[in-house]
Amino acid sequence: MSKIMTVDILSSIKGAQPSESVNKLFESIKNANSINNNSFNANHNNAVTLNDLREDVVIDSPNAEKQIIIENFPKEKNGYLVVAKVIEE
Amino acid sequence: MESQIHEIHQQLMNKEITCTKLVQDRLDLLKSNTHNTVNSLLDTFALELASKVDARIKNGEDISLLEGIPFGIKDVYMLQGTLATASSDLLKNYKSPYTATAIQKLLDAGAIPLVKENCDSFGHGSSSENTIFGAVKNAINTDLVSGGSSGGSAVNVAKDYTVFSIGGDTGGSVRQPAGYNNVYGLKPTYGRISRYGLMAYASSTDCVGPIAKNIEDIRIVLNVMSGKDVKDQTTYHSKSISMSAVLNADEIKTVGYFKNFIESDAIHPQVKADFLASIEKIKAKGIEVKELDFFEADTLVSTYYTLAMAETASNLSRLDGTNYGARIEGENLKDTYSITRSENFSEETKRRIVGGNQVLSQGFSDEIYLKGLNLRDQIADNFEKDFKEVDIILSPVTPNTPPKIGDSLKDPLAMYLSDAYTVGFSLGQLPTLTIPQGTATGLQITAAKNNDELVLKFANFLKDTI
Repeated sequence: MSKIMTVDILSSIKGAQPSESVNKLFESIKNANSINNNSFNANHNNAVTLNDLREDVVIDSPNAEKQIIIENFPKEKNGYLVVAKVIEE
Repeated sequence: MESQIHEIHQQLMNKEITCTKLVQDRLDLLKSNTHNTVNSLLDTFALELASKVDARIKNGEDISLLEGIPFGIKDVYMLQGTLATASSDLLKNYKSPYTATAIQKLLDAGAIPLVKENCDSFGHGSSSENTIFGAVKNAINTDLVSGGSSGGSAVNVAKDYTVFSIGGDTGGSVRQPAGYNNVYGLKPTYGRISRYGLMAYASSTDCVGPIAKNIEDIRIVLNVMSGKDVKDQTTYHSKSISMSAVLNADEIKTVGYFKNFIESDAIHPQVKADFLASIEKIKAKGIEVKELDFFEADTLVSTYYTLAMAETASNLSRLDGTNYGARIEGENLKDTYSITRSENFSEETKRRIVGGNQVLSQGFSDEIYLKGLNLRDQIADNFEKDFKEVDIILSPVTPNTPPKIGDSLKDPLAMYLSDAYTVGFSLGQLPTLTIPQGTATGLQITAAKNNDELVLKFANFLKDTI
């Protein structure tokens, strides 16, 4: 559990390294003044209220949509998506 | 009011032009253009729709205002059966399985989509150079960038290739290219238009935004696209804005501007002088102008990019080549993910994903990400306070004129900092309109949340004032 994950692994990008330009932005955030460091102001989030949730029903996609989803498969066999074998580590 | 939509509507109704000729002429212009604005043309679809409009007119039927009006779509929106590439290698052959709500509403109103427009890949950029389709060239000077990320959309409108275009604005991506190409570009209040079918960049600030050559066309298109959508639960009900409401700006008594934006060393002296001259003209009309305090530009830019990168790292994690996209097979599943993403994402996109994962990591999240959220709340509080004192906030769109093509790619930090005047309003989720007046890259008019109508009113007022 305590294994250290580097940004290239977290990002699934081979050889990825933190960028100097982006680090300068982060330095600026660290040095900015803030108040109540752990507050989260509920007035500014866009969460939906519980009585305004959409119906919890399954909506079947139209056939045209399903066909395009299959067309977009990177690798297909008999109408099924082919993926690499999952290796447990 | 000046309006290309009304003008073309009359020409169609009076049978001065056919819709087929209108659409074909614009398609020809798009096809032969050298500004790199086109990712794909929707010629067959557009001409089919045009011939239906012609048939209705021939039968003596009335057509609605948007029927037959040609428009463009930034290539980050879904339109069923057409390519949606996000200007990326990863999605260069990806076909939209469904249609975005905003685009569907325009189709239902009869507007005709002509083109999927070039932009920065996944919206990652301020110059429309981060694209596999070649840098978009500015409409006025082709040595300069078009701005971004909705660069192709702004140039198409400026060059009259489309009557209006639908861009996407996360931190200024509609307003800045509108300013760089001297057209109008609106970022509505967050949630006014559904984001369903807009590829997510930073979900908490992503907005659908129209670009057009006049205020009336912006109003028409905004009204059509607005409204609550069950497929985007951050949307809200909004009232349609009438033309007569836009004509009367008497209620606007006080305008504010951020002193530190104008006194900054980063602003070009001419942009500063032109902005202050505009302020004097507004004062001369009897409107009170107040100087306001605001956050430093580097704090605004850092807060915005920290949150946007965190959100994009999360949103783009689905792009691994498993279900769709240009998969490159590796030795195993994880290897396939990382080769696909390494080879198919641009340098700028990778920079933002890595930055996002950095700030979301243990050890970084408290001092950077959570602090960014806290700063965002302070910024929003600051706006709430300001709008108790002023009706409108006026700002330049950019501190400088557009850079030369090639310069932004060499210096990402300079590109990020060039967004200093647009990102604050995004973090506040406020309605902001770029108008092609006042400075070389225009002015931004901002009102309090949900008050998009006031923005259009003031824009109409400024049309004859400055």
